Amino acid sequence: MWEVLIIGTVIGGIWALVASGFSLTFGVARIFNFAHGTYFAIAAYLAAALYPTLGYFSIFLAIFAAGIFGLVVNVLIKPIRDREIMVILLTLSVALSVEQILLIIFQDTSISIPPVINGVVEIAGVPVTYTRIIALIIALLCLAALEIFIGKTRLGREINATSQSSEAAMMVGIDVEKVYSSTMLISAILAGIGGVLYAQIYSVNPETAFRILIFAFAVVILGGLGSIKGSIIAAFLIGYVQTFVSIVLGSRWSEVAVIAVIIAILIVRPRGLFGVE
Amino acid sequence: MITITRPKLNYLNWKLLIALIPLPLPFILPKSIVFMLGLAFIFAVFVLSWDLVAGYTGEVNLGHTVFIGIGAYTSALLALKLHTPPLISIIAGGLLATIFGFVIGIICLRLKGYYLALVTAILPLVFIQFVNIYSGIFGGYEGLSIGIKNALHRSIEGRYYIAYGFMLLSLYAIYRVVNGKFGLRLKAIRDDEELAEGVGIDVVKHKVIAFCISALMAGLAGGVAVFYRLSVGVDLFGVPLMILIILSALFGGLGTLFGPLIGALTIYIAKYWVFMEVARAINIQQADALMMYLLLIVLILKMPEGLFGWFKTVRSKLPLRTY
Repeated sequence: MWEVLIIGTVIGGIWALVASGFSLTFGVARIFNFAHGTYFAIAAYLAAALYPTLGYFSIFLAIFAAGIFGLVVNVLIKPIRDREIMVILLTLSVALSVEQILLIIFQDTSISIPPVINGVVEIAGVPVTYTRIIALIIALLCLAALEIFIGKTRLGREINATSQSSEAAMMVGIDVEKVYSSTMLISAILAGIGGVLYAQIYSVNPETAFRILIFAFAVVILGGLGSIKGSIIAAFLIGYVQTFVSIVLGSRWSEVAVIAVIIAILIVRPRGLFGVE
Repeated sequence: MITITRPKLNYLNWKLLIALIPLPLPFILPKSIVFMLGLAFIFAVFVLSWDLVAGYTGEVNLGHTVFIGIGAYTSALLALKLHTPPLISIIAGGLLATIFGFVIGIICLRLKGYYLALVTAILPLVFIQFVNIYSGIFGGYEGLSIGIKNALHRSIEGRYYIAYGFMLLSLYAIYRVVNGKFGLRLKAIRDDEELAEGVGIDVVKHKVIAFCISALMAGLAGGVAVFYRLSVGVDLFGVPLMILIILSALFGGLGTLFGPLIGALTIYIAKYWVFMEVARAINIQQADALMMYLLLIVLILKMPEGLFGWFKTVRSKLPLRTY
């Protein structure tokens, strides 16, 4: 049981990074970004591909590239923002294009980034690598930074205002387009960090971009759409469920378990744990 | 008073004439192309049934291939294990897909927002996982072969005509659905959900019924596809097929009935002729799928109304003619 708790906390931290960005974009711009997993995959692949030549600098470059790609997606969405069906289809096809490009370049093989620090420590009888501990710490630091950014800075307050009402935000003189693009940038960077951390612990293949979305969906539905706090708590719960199912039934069942969770929430409490109507 | 009416070729007659074109094709074209055209007709039913939900209720179903897959695997397994005749197997597959569609529809469609898109986006991945976990029953990645004795007809030409008939029947069924009172209510829901609710339309009920009809047709088409091509595999579940369906419907124009039909036939033939040839020419195996995705992005950004919408804008820009 300790194993579920410890491993689940680490993976939950990574899901929190991915899902908080997804939730942020939904909350602010009301768009369902199916390309969100793409940021994760781009960062992981770029870091792994450049690592042999650039060393750890490749990790920063990869996160930066994920952010840039977020801005590109935002530019693509801009002309069709008010047609929700088209936004869903557009982001979906962007995600699939990137998956296909990764498949052409890297073939159907898994990659991973060598851990920054080697070593294992035993916590309550469970061996935990330093990589996992560092991943959790970085994830928590990023989430705390996000919380401070949204609450304390001017841009953060503008983001908050836009998520409550974009028309009202426009009326008080907030540049809503700037808010949209910075939201996309932030969520892409968060997902990119998640991708780099994930790739040090697990292996990543081109399909991961899409698979990640399943967990992000589950997290935001459980936490409530648009609620960042809910997403973070839900991310850890989903992490525990996933680890539990992987240990008891095998990891190929984890997706089945996660969709069961999604459907159960939609039946019992569609607005999630902390969602607003 | 005598009125002189000139016999004119009206809209319906045009359609009938066009509908006759595929009939002589098996006598002219080589067998491999006839086989592909037949598959294109079945594919058109996938697209038409998807568009019934997307184009007429405004909900996006990203897991349409799951209904196709349920119909396909159910009918294939019935034929293989219980030796039921093709027609009964196909109908059973369609019914199971409908039941599944009803359950998903009732869970997701009573909620406002994009829950249907979200849940249905995940379903294909889960189903592919299932097929692999129980590969003993479902044949895993390779799929199942059902053998020529279970085919709809022994000859390719025979199956071609059956596929064509199936497409015409489906087209007629959807035509009746969307042009009747029910279709009018669906269009009202699509255009303004709150207003539709205001005039007393039960939005959830209508959406769920449309979703069930769509699932039924997809399930039937999945079954027909199996007994047409004599095999079933995960490609009937997969994301690439889903994108091909969306691409076709968008290309023709969502909710225009004949648009998605024309889109389906064009895109399917383009995919298996042009894209695959290009991919072979530049010697990159996955390039045909990539071209498809990129084409979809361009289409969404540049021509979101599809061919029909494009024709309309072109026509509205022409100088008005007076008769």
